[in-house]
Amino acid sequence: MKFSESWLRSFCNPSMTTDELAHALTMAGLEVEEVKPAAPPFTKIVVGEIISREKHPNADRLSVCMVNVGSHSAAPLQIVCGAPNARAGIRIPCALVGAELPPDAEGKPFVIKQAKMRSVESNGMLCSSKELGISEASEGLLELPLDAPVGADIREYMKLNDAVFEVKLTPNKADCLSVYGVAREVHAITGASLAAAPAREVKVTLKDVLRAKVSAADLCGRFAGRIIRGVNAKADTPAWMRERLERAGQRSISALVDISNYVMLELGRPTHVFDLDKVHGSLDVRWAKKGETLKLLNGNTVELDEQVGVIADDSGVESLAGIMGGDSTAVNLETTKNVYVEAAFWHPAAIQGRSRRFNFSTDAGHRFERGVDWETIPQHIDYISALILEICGGEAGPIDDQTVSVPARNAVTLRIARAQKVIGVAVSADEMSAIFTRLGLRHTRDADKFTVTPPSYRFDIEIEEDLIEEIARIYGFDNIPALPPLARAAMRAEPTDRRSLHDLRGAIAAKDYFEVINYSFVDESWEKEIVGNVNPIRLLNPIASQMAVMRSSLIPGLLANVAHNLKHKAARVRVFELGKVFMRDSSAQDGKLGISGVSQPLMLGGVAWGGAASEQWGERERTVDFFDGKSDLQAVIPGLVCVKATHPLLHPGRSARITLNGQHAGWLGELHPRHLKAFDLDSAPIVFEVMASVAQLKKGVAVEVVAKTPLVRRDVALVVEQSVESDALIQSLHQAAGPVIRSIDVFDVYRGANLPPDRKSVAIRVLMQDTERTLEDSQIDATMKKLVVRAEEAFGATLRT
Amino acid sequence: MNKVESTQRAAPESMVPVGVVPTTIVQAAMSDFQACTTHAALENAKSRYLGKSGLITERLKGLSELTPEHKKVHGAEINRDKDSIEAAYKSRRGELETEALNAKLAAESIDVTLPGRGRGTGGIHPVIQTWQRCEEIFGSIGFDVADGPEIEADWYNFTALNNPPNHPARSMQDTFYVDMNGTDGLPLLLRTHTSPMQVRYAKMHADDLTNNGKPIKVIAPGRTYRVDSDATHSPMFHQIEGLWIDENISFADLKGVYTDFLRRFFETDALQVRFRPSYFPFTEPSAEIDMKFDSGPLKGRWLEISGSGQVHPSVVKNFGLDPERFIGFAFGSGLERLTMLKHGIGDLRLFFEGDLRFLKQFA
Repeated sequence: MKFSESWLRSFCNPSMTTDELAHALTMAGLEVEEVKPAAPPFTKIVVGEIISREKHPNADRLSVCMVNVGSHSAAPLQIVCGAPNARAGIRIPCALVGAELPPDAEGKPFVIKQAKMRSVESNGMLCSSKELGISEASEGLLELPLDAPVGADIREYMKLNDAVFEVKLTPNKADCLSVYGVAREVHAITGASLAAAPAREVKVTLKDVLRAKVSAADLCGRFAGRIIRGVNAKADTPAWMRERLERAGQRSISALVDISNYVMLELGRPTHVFDLDKVHGSLDVRWAKKGETLKLLNGNTVELDEQVGVIADDSGVESLAGIMGGDSTAVNLETTKNVYVEAAFWHPAAIQGRSRRFNFSTDAGHRFERGVDWETIPQHIDYISALILEICGGEAGPIDDQTVSVPARNAVTLRIARAQKVIGVAVSADEMSAIFTRLGLRHTRDADKFTVTPPSYRFDIEIEEDLIEEIARIYGFDNIPALPPLARAAMRAEPTDRRSLHDLRGAIAAKDYFEVINYSFVDESWEKEIVGNVNPIRLLNPIASQMAVMRSSLIPGLLANVAHNLKHKAARVRVFELGKVFMRDSSAQDGKLGISGVSQPLMLGGVAWGGAASEQWGERERTVDFFDGKSDLQAVIPGLVCVKATHPLLHPGRSARITLNGQHAGWLGELHPRHLKAFDLDSAPIVFEVMASVAQLKKGVAVEVVAKTPLVRRDVALVVEQSVESDALIQSLHQAAGPVIRSIDVFDVYRGANLPPDRKSVAIRVLMQDTERTLEDSQIDATMKKLVVRAEEAFGATLRT
Repeated sequence: MNKVESTQRAAPESMVPVGVVPTTIVQAAMSDFQACTTHAALENAKSRYLGKSGLITERLKGLSELTPEHKKVHGAEINRDKDSIEAAYKSRRGELETEALNAKLAAESIDVTLPGRGRGTGGIHPVIQTWQRCEEIFGSIGFDVADGPEIEADWYNFTALNNPPNHPARSMQDTFYVDMNGTDGLPLLLRTHTSPMQVRYAKMHADDLTNNGKPIKVIAPGRTYRVDSDATHSPMFHQIEGLWIDENISFADLKGVYTDFLRRFFETDALQVRFRPSYFPFTEPSAEIDMKFDSGPLKGRWLEISGSGQVHPSVVKNFGLDPERFIGFAFGSGLERLTMLKHGIGDLRLFFEGDLRFLKQFA
């Protein structure tokens, strides 16, 4: 909300500077976002009167004026002027010699000097509103009212020594949606005296009443209005009102609209002025019916239903209750003569959400959603009526006022000890009482508690905490100490069978991967075409089509990271992400950490593209391959097992399902070549994606005795079919061998010359040890024999010679 | 070449005539040995004195022709010379060995300034580093860490936090909705803050507090979403929510804990922190927290850093706790904001571009 400081100070004027006042408001919860001067600095500009105007002898577009500046010069000043509207008789701002005009873009003021313009002497400058810095554009000199006192300082005369406050109000501060409301707050904060709310009496000279019926008490709690006949809709809005409206950011439209806006800004009272001659019959305040429509003041037509409140007449809906008037009964400059001024109390719950539904917001709706005082409706109708009568003329009828269902204002109890406990400071009961008084909260004290009855303009005081907040706020948050808590403590320890997510990150980062954070919403084509998810979870209101669906895989985002870095000439990219993916899942149930119908596991994904290592002097260049990826992933899941399997993302011959202790963990493989183009890649990256919950599992420690007997190594080369998988071979050998085996590992695989094309030679290292005694050669030979026999029987292996 | 020549010239036998003063022969040998620069030359020179027909050997042979008295005197002298020459030989041989080793080592020397071999190491995202740092700082006074669903139910994200449908406060956060309904019939949404975790965690631990007196003390860092996108707003960002509920956790404690956190996080006690009244449906009193650096490019400006307050009694009730007995505070801060202020980063979008040129700066 925007308003001028002078308007605010007209109700409550603490002896504080502008900045101090702004700070005080901010620290009381009315955040002053901006304070702007009403006009830039300038000096020695006064009201002048042009006595005569002659054409400049040497320049067609210039004129030579004689200007009366009152006491500033005994004789009229001769001033050369270029404005087209310069003429005798008008009063204008006149900068005297020595005046400083508003600073330019570099911050330097422009100083007026005595000068000759085309050989005619000029002793000052006549100014436009733009030159005074109070408007963006102007056409010629700023013409002041003819009664402007000649010689008066312009800043004083136009009240330019003013500031515009822009306050950001939180949704609970309905009572501050007006200048007077903010003034009440200033009074509470500073203790400076508060003027009575502006009020006027109206002489009722007509008997006419527009009949109105409130049919929906859950919509409208109080409805009041009066007829005013014979208004001049074309009357000018007075300068003082226009100035306050403009400084509040409201363009002047017409006197009737301006007056209504003025009262809303000053008192927080939204009103509506109907063109009485366009109202058919009587008014009915009711919920709309399905199928009804209304053309609004702003030209939009909205479709209504039973959720929306309206004011209707005999011919149909005329106004959207509490939000905006209709087009057909709007006042206009040309034909409006008789009006009906309406003010009502709309229940906040009946207004809330309705503007959003129609996708626009209005100042009235904003206020009614939060709550508007119902008690002052007649006084405010009188006030707006008086302004209309004063500015537009006319004669007023009586106020027709019906109260059907206003909220109760229940007394709220505050326990002094509870307030002290929650705030953490022993604010005294007397101080609490003083705060309530300054806030205008009627209260009584009964030993250790207060009973407080909130006024009708407060919609935020219903429970004890509401009062505790008020005390803390006015007591001043700055006055509450920042204490290290004295509290009971409990120890915490992480379980040893799980690694933390940060450990996972550290492990993969240590393998030369950089962590990225990608959006959880992606282009639908990524899900459908790359991940193979035909029914991704869609956003109902995405901000862009490439962020329209929830990802079910981290991989496409990581590939896009590779593409992005390639564009910036990266030769090798390795990135990972730890993030959630989202799938429809009918088995998912609501639970402590679950949402029915959605599974959203946390995944660890990585992509490695380019060299196995970065290009360097001491290492042969080699493109990253499956086994580099496997080794990287083993740093995260040391006990992982690769099971050959296919996945739409991956090269069918170079992809594996990752399991840990038989539990599915994720996928590892080379990107399927068909996806290279989508990401502008010329060689395939290695990608992996595993469930973080599995990667977090940590093997328990089972301590074995470290034997002192010697370790024996035997190597054997077995020739097997190409299709034999190394894991299967080793597992089988383990089963065949006796207890002396410490380990069996593949240390070389050979294909090529000396071997049939369908065979490969697998070199195996066997480590043996008896923990009790030194192994004898016969035992060693027997064990090796068992292994070879098993390999022959199970895999048709032959010994390589 | 010069050295070799001088070696050749150094030991002409004619220069050491038989019968000269015995010390001279030692000096000659020493000078001969010194002139040798290879093992072979040294062995040659040695044999000229100590070999089968070397000068010393010859002299010993000549002793037999002397009288017993002379034999005794000369014999002792010759043996002394022999010992001296042998010592000189050993010493020179040692020197030559050292030289040879040094030469070998010199030939093997490498350019130690060349880059190390193999893979480098990657790095953790700056926002996640902030996340970790927050966990460490709050962990140091016993805060637990929790995370929960990002696609969230309306009740947890709003209603349980005292923000029912149509409440004006709902417009404070523009919400993404997905094409699925929750079991309450309301559309599921992307959580707009990590505050729903307050409710989920507190519900899980309410009995432990009520019956065993274990305070609820938790932070919930994680991804959050709002319909907003420009240099200072991202449709996805990270928040860290904090919650401490016990029998006597006051607003003054909130001020103490959060002020301490900021000073530890930014590593300066000169950081000014202020709390000013604000409004959130789930806290009351509510406070916006601002901070001010006393040095650096952002010095002297109040910077918004967090929303906070005493947890609203309706929310405490939704935790499954008795609000008469239990009170406490909650706060929520943006991890990106903390990171940007820590490192002086101006554009939020850098965090989500995955650009290695940016990310490597934080490794």
